Amino acid sequence: MRSTSMVLAACLLGAASAQAADREFTEVVRVISDEFHTRPTSIPMFGLVNVFAAAVHPAGTRHIDLAVFEHLGSHDREGRNLSDAILSAVGRSWKPFVQVRSHKNGHEETVLVYMRQEGKDWKLLVTAVEHDEATVVQLLLNADALARWMASPEHCARHWSGDQTE
Amino acid sequence: MKFAIPVLLAVLPLAAQDIKMPAGLDRLAEKASDVVDVSLDGALLQLASRFLSEKDPDEAHVKRLIGGLKGVYVKSFEFENRDEYKESDVDELRAQLKAPGWARIITARSKRSGENSDVYLKTDAGQITGLAIIATEPKELTIINIVGSIRPEDIRDLGGHLGIPKIDIGPVRNDKDKNDKKDKEDDK
Repeated sequence: MRSTSMVLAACLLGAASAQAADREFTEVVRVISDEFHTRPTSIPMFGLVNVFAAAVHPAGTRHIDLAVFEHLGSHDREGRNLSDAILSAVGRSWKPFVQVRSHKNGHEETVLVYMRQEGKDWKLLVTAVEHDEATVVQLLLNADALARWMASPEHCARHWSGDQTE
Repeated sequence: MKFAIPVLLAVLPLAAQDIKMPAGLDRLAEKASDVVDVSLDGALLQLASRFLSEKDPDEAHVKRLIGGLKGVYVKSFEFENRDEYKESDVDELRAQLKAPGWARIITARSKRSGENSDVYLKTDAGQITGLAIIATEPKELTIINIVGSIRPEDIRDLGGHLGIPKIDIGPVRNDKDKNDKKDKEDDK
């Protein structure tokens, strides 16, 4: 009974933290939803990830908001310039940090990373769009984790996009 | 008006740069197989420097270098095939670097590898306030703008840090006087 209550509490905490996602994160998710006429894939029990992140700070990450879109290739696109739409959704309070655009083997891949300071911590808003899937991640990082990003920004951006060739 | 907002937002990060990336580079981006943009403003650079060790001589050196910087902006293009971009694609950029205050100080050319690098220095009242590099290879183009106090010889040490690629600018050959004269002749 007690463990059930803990799981429930964790899910509620997770749900609460999901609601606390920044407006810009929500806007970027909306931009991708509108562009591909689809919704993010539901990730069961994702709230637990943030309970874990808040307690353990894996790799300097204190909070994660995540939206994953799958099977985008099967949806009709609106046809807008996605980078411009995301830039507009992110707004001025976030600083552009890294942008990677790849057109290899007929597949297009874009990774846009924006950054914003929040007290002693830093937030990264990472959007990776590939042919068939897209990921929007907002990370609340401590300074150590951010330093790793700054030491090798392109590598970190490609890592998040799933391109391990660099 | 609603189309003006993304354009304004796109221009804003460039405001801190010494040079303005020409619109023609966007067209080049469409042809490139890989385009990477890295923007680090002064606050981020100072944060980055806090994590470099004073005890490690190399890191301590880089830390000192970063201490004098106000911004690092890197834009690189990689192409599938040779000669997919022309020298004229960066003409507009080079024209900016002929403005008062800028001087081309290093030119490195390699016929064997086809790698060429030009290093430009910006000075104000005798102080170095910025540096720009245009590095070209048959399938790559890299533009680096460093805002702040930096010496050309320190570029090698910053390579591999902060998204700045390692660029071989060859043996340092000071072209300032020769190029000042040539640029003036070109302008006539």
